[in-house]
Amino acid sequence: MHKNRYVYFLTFLLFWTPGWGQERVATDIRANEILKKVDENLMPLSFESYRKLINEEPDGSKKEFIFFTVKKGKDKMAMLYVSPASEKGRATLRLGDNMWLYIPNVGKPIRITSLQSVVGGVFNNADIMRLDYSVEYDAAILQQTPSEYILDLKAKTRTVAYDKLKMWVDRKSTMVTKVECYAASGTLIKILEFKNIKNFGDGILRPAVIETTSPLYRGYRSMMIYSNMKLRKFPDEVFTLEYLSRLGELR
Amino acid sequence: MRLFSHIVLAVLCIFYFTRSFSQEYDFDIPEEEEAKIEFNGNLDAKWGLLRAQRSSPFYAVQFYDVPEKDDYLSQYRLDFYLNGVYRHKQVGFFIKTFYQYAKEEPLSPSFFELYGSLNVSPRLSMSIGKQRFNWGKGYAFNPVGYVNAEKDPENPDLALAGKPSVYLNYNRSYDSRILQNWSLGAMLLPPEADRNDRFASAEHIGAAVKLYFLIKNIDLDFMATFRKDAPRRLGLDFSTNLRENLEIHGEFSYAQDEKKYVAADDLITSCKMDGGSYLIGLRYLNRLNTTLIAEYYHNNSGLSENEFRAYLQYLRNSVESNRAEMVDAAKGNMSIIFRSKTLMRDYLYVKLMQPEPFAWLYSSVSLFTIYNLSDHSYLISPQLSYRPYTNFEFLLWPFFFFGGNDTEYGNKPFKSKIEIWIRFYF
Repeated sequence: MHKNRYVYFLTFLLFWTPGWGQERVATDIRANEILKKVDENLMPLSFESYRKLINEEPDGSKKEFIFFTVKKGKDKMAMLYVSPASEKGRATLRLGDNMWLYIPNVGKPIRITSLQSVVGGVFNNADIMRLDYSVEYDAAILQQTPSEYILDLKAKTRTVAYDKLKMWVDRKSTMVTKVECYAASGTLIKILEFKNIKNFGDGILRPAVIETTSPLYRGYRSMMIYSNMKLRKFPDEVFTLEYLSRLGELR
Repeated sequence: MRLFSHIVLAVLCIFYFTRSFSQEYDFDIPEEEEAKIEFNGNLDAKWGLLRAQRSSPFYAVQFYDVPEKDDYLSQYRLDFYLNGVYRHKQVGFFIKTFYQYAKEEPLSPSFFELYGSLNVSPRLSMSIGKQRFNWGKGYAFNPVGYVNAEKDPENPDLALAGKPSVYLNYNRSYDSRILQNWSLGAMLLPPEADRNDRFASAEHIGAAVKLYFLIKNIDLDFMATFRKDAPRRLGLDFSTNLRENLEIHGEFSYAQDEKKYVAADDLITSCKMDGGSYLIGLRYLNRLNTTLIAEYYHNNSGLSENEFRAYLQYLRNSVESNRAEMVDAAKGNMSIIFRSKTLMRDYLYVKLMQPEPFAWLYSSVSLFTIYNLSDHSYLISPQLSYRPYTNFEFLLWPFFFFGGNDTEYGNKPFKSKIEIWIRFYF
């Protein structure tokens, strides 16, 4: 009797496991396709935009920064600080995993890390200079409801700022609505909520506001507001260290 | 009827000619272009209290003419930086001026930068004028900074003056995982006018070149400089992120016929030497958001312990001679030949920075040390920055110098100093 049980079990494994593997591969492919669509909806391949970053402190006071951002392809982004005066002329460049900061007084770009925060507040460099999610993460479907997908994203390399993300995606529009960012230890680092879907023209329809809170910084809140997002083509040379001091020419 | 046809013809002719005239000279009034002239800058009001080290030969030379020797000195000054940028299409004009007010007297601007640039294309650009370059990956020291203004390791972020140059840069990117970008920067460095304050010998025009590569995730530079009356230098530097929170960098420079000055009795003599200077450093960020910068610097032409002792003795001798011309010569050498803040060979620089410690909003604290590895003297400097309002900053910045007799930091003209800065940006 026991022998038969093993035979049944092994027979079941033989027929079931490959099917299960195929199903899993298929759902992973589907998850990564959803993630790519999320990226396409969030950021066109080549564009310029202005962003206002508002850091709200627990006492209610605010600090505001305005950036001019240009992006090309999946892994090239440059950003110029437009205001306040104390930060004006600073510029950051991101090429894949590499990130640099240019400070006019210093006169040369220096390598910075993605975990650092140039402007303070809850957003760090990786949030402000974020590339396409599909460049940095592999996706799997964690849960599906009639209205949304919940994706589990795992970092492809160790240089990515967050090891794991949990992403809520609206099923109808394939638009991201919420992202939770986790450290390797499983600690929840921050929560990003995507709000106020706006038509920027040029076929760009995306959330205009990203609100960020963090259980590590109770009472702090950061908001990123997008404006004047336009499709624009740039030569690759715009995304180089040599061009960082010249970014203002593109405005 | 004939008259009527003539009139019609005349009217048609007038109409035709006036029409063509108006077409030829007609124009659309262009919309007023938005001015692209921008000004910005900052005003630093600084007050310092300095504790004199009267046993220091540097102090004795610097204050030789001052009859009253105080134990504490006060220093008040206003540093005003005014920068302007004008851009129109491919052409740009840049100006950076600096004014320093220390006492009531006419102020004249120092032009830190004054240059025009032409961007022929995103790949090719050139500039002519006085422009600041900053070569090298080091934070506090740059052995490959051949065209840099001399950096103050006690304040590496300070705005500094540029050099007159004619600069050409070619920049090229590739859609490749290995070589992503390279650029070639070449410059001519005209010598300072020393003939009737207007001219200089054409033989002393210098040249410098830098080749940059971004290979995989590594920044790599090769550089060289040549001038008839200066040492030939060849160098390289690199920088890369080993992890998302750890960056390493390094520089190596080889100099041929580098002049080294040493003191012997009452004289300063020079000799020429070949050799390498180098730097290795890292930048690390921990989970508490604390940044650590650490650098080791070897200066090939720096003074050895014995040579530094001889230099101190030279300064002492000049003061003890009680001859104004000897003291003036020592003072001149101090501000020209031995002006560097790191005169010796081997240094360790360590800086820790913590934004918003103890959840104290808008503040940041830092602490740095420069440790002289040859004579074991050092300086320690904590700094507190507070930015409660946009475009306003308050800085509290003390310095403490430690070291035994005949050591570099043990002989600084001031034992300690504290500075308060109030900075307004506009």
